[in-house]
Amino acid sequence: MKGLIKEFTKGIIKENPTFVLALGLCPTLAVSVSVVNAIGMGVAATFVLLGSSVIISLVKDFIPNKIRIPCFIVIIATFVTVIELCLKAYSPVLNRALGIYVPLIVVNCIVLGRAEAFACKNNFLSALFDGLGMGVGFTLALIFISAIREILGSGQILGHTLIKGFEPVFVFGMPSGALLVIGLLLGLFNLIKNRKA
Amino acid sequence: MRNSLIVSGSPHIHKQESVSRIMWTVVLSTIPAGIAGVIIFGLDALWVTLVAVIAAVLTETVFEIWTKKKITVMDGSAVITGILLAYNLPSNVPLWLPIVGAVFSISIGKQVFGGLGQNIFNPALVGRVFLMASWPKYMTTFVKPLSYDAITSATPLAALKEGKILEHISYLDLFLGKRGGCLGEVCILALLIGAAILLYKGYITWHIPATYILTTAVFVYIFGAKQLFQGDWLFHILSGGLILGAFFMATDYVATPLTVKGQVIFGIGCGLLTGIIRIWGGYPEGVSYAILMMNAATPFIDRYTKNRIYGTR
Amino acid sequence: MNIQEYLSIFISSVFIYNVILSRFLGLCPFVAISKNTRQAFAMSAAVTFVITASSVVTWLIYRFLLLPFNLAYLRTLSFVLVIAALVQLIEMVIRKTSPALYRAFGIYLTLITTNCAVLGAAVLNIDMFFVNGRAISGSFYYSLFQGFCMGLGYTLAMLIMSGIRERLELCNVPKPLRDFPLAFIIASVLSLSFMGFSGFKF
Repeated sequence: MKGLIKEFTKGIIKENPTFVLALGLCPTLAVSVSVVNAIGMGVAATFVLLGSSVIISLVKDFIPNKIRIPCFIVIIATFVTVIELCLKAYSPVLNRALGIYVPLIVVNCIVLGRAEAFACKNNFLSALFDGLGMGVGFTLALIFISAIREILGSGQILGHTLIKGFEPVFVFGMPSGALLVIGLLLGLFNLIKNRKA
Repeated sequence: MRNSLIVSGSPHIHKQESVSRIMWTVVLSTIPAGIAGVIIFGLDALWVTLVAVIAAVLTETVFEIWTKKKITVMDGSAVITGILLAYNLPSNVPLWLPIVGAVFSISIGKQVFGGLGQNIFNPALVGRVFLMASWPKYMTTFVKPLSYDAITSATPLAALKEGKILEHISYLDLFLGKRGGCLGEVCILALLIGAAILLYKGYITWHIPATYILTTAVFVYIFGAKQLFQGDWLFHILSGGLILGAFFMATDYVATPLTVKGQVIFGIGCGLLTGIIRIWGGYPEGVSYAILMMNAATPFIDRYTKNRIYGTR
Repeated sequence: MNIQEYLSIFISSVFIYNVILSRFLGLCPFVAISKNTRQAFAMSAAVTFVITASSVVTWLIYRFLLLPFNLAYLRTLSFVLVIAALVQLIEMVIRKTSPALYRAFGIYLTLITTNCAVLGAAVLNIDMFFVNGRAISGSFYYSLFQGFCMGLGYTLAMLIMSGIRERLELCNVPKPLRDFPLAFIIASVLSLSFMGFSGFKF
């Protein structure tokens, strides 16, 4: 049980997919304009990650090694299609906000990366916790980045104005601001890492 | 016996130049435009400039203390960045705006690359486009020249972009600076005086400014009006930030190509981009973006215009 | 043949909504491979080729297979498989016809399968050039051209980035910012500069 908890927590800090492994940056930057979108993408990605990790760990013995990547892709794509349809049906606003990045979850480096690096080499329970941990880590990173961008870029969070009279810095809502925030955050993490070492 | 054999590497010709000297002379050359700015827009122009300079110097000091480097603010380069940033702002901006801009210019535009001599982009322009993207409202509200009042007025280029022509503006008005615009860009006369100082001392060469301005003029002449070859090139040269940009920012030593051939390409590129943005882009003025884009292309230009090394084919 | 439409696609795909700097597609290779100009060029060329080819194939599949049989929901799955297969095919063809080119591309060709830019372009084409399940007029050519322009925009960003980063090798960048962080900061300034083209109206 301890081992399983470890699989879960490593995805949050030590091997955080966004800040440590630098995976899945494409949707991170695009979606982090507002916290609401960030949560939506995080949940969607976690669903796909969880589902695909579990299934792959269950069928890993039946997949011939040579065609394992295409097989992984099919499994992942299935889950992505499921979530795509769910979003279209139950949350069209969120679907429109996330745009093309929903189908792009299928090539999200985190999902395929975990499948290749972990799920196909471990048992069902480990893969479950790993997928969950990575998904949660990704979601937390997304929320963190989008909180910064939303507060600075529009002075609000989740629709509520924080400080009156604050002139929002529009650039943070734009791609340029996204790149700047992630660059500075990665630099900050490096600084902390170097200090610790 | 006095040691008269001095062993040192070539070149042996010694000039009284140093980075400090050059930078402070550049500062001197911007003063005419600053005085003009204060005359045309009032004391606000002075405060904006002072605040930008102080913020730039402080940011550089803090950064260099934090990264345990030698403090280089006395070389004048931070001062120049502060001044040029201020010159690219309307005189009536709230004073926190140039502060934020200066901090951004020095930190993101210069220090993260390693400091002086290593920046890819012109730091003042990096700050300006950041401010433009972040607070467009403040960056595009200009006051009427010579009125010392809070009456807003459009710049000639902005009026042109909307299809109106500002009445009662003659070329002489444009030349002297009797128009709305950023505090350091309007008085062409003052800018040219400063540029003449720099050219005389050899601190800038004529290649980039000449090719830049000429290319813009030709491009605007051809495409700048409803029919071809009807563009008002003189109006375009005297409007916006072209003279300020061509002489003071496109000539940044660090962010521009090393060879003459490269510089000519740089100037032409700037001219084309400025013309394209002015005529067909959404913004009325494109000088800052044009220069930054060419700054980005400079490593590439340098690569392909390397000078021939003597002795090789 | 609407020149204005094509010009608008060109300007927006290459500059305003640049696939890397604005849509954030293809970021992984962008920060990882853009340190060396030759590698960057090889990667960009491969990506441009695959994006263009896959734009064509995915359009055809969507138009003649998925739509008529009401299988639009299979878009993601089929596109991704098609791209993977296409990359395999291209790899095989290049290997046979030009071993030198194959060697030049190296592993980049295989990496392209997971490149967001390729799938992203295919999905964008469908979103932009199909309305209510029907192709707008000229849709095929627009899709082809847009795919190609996205490749061009990708190439532009990669080349500029590699030129800058090669130069920065000689500079004294603060330690925490080296490599990835600075790459993003540079991309941020590039993105700001490209904004100069916004609102473009020919």
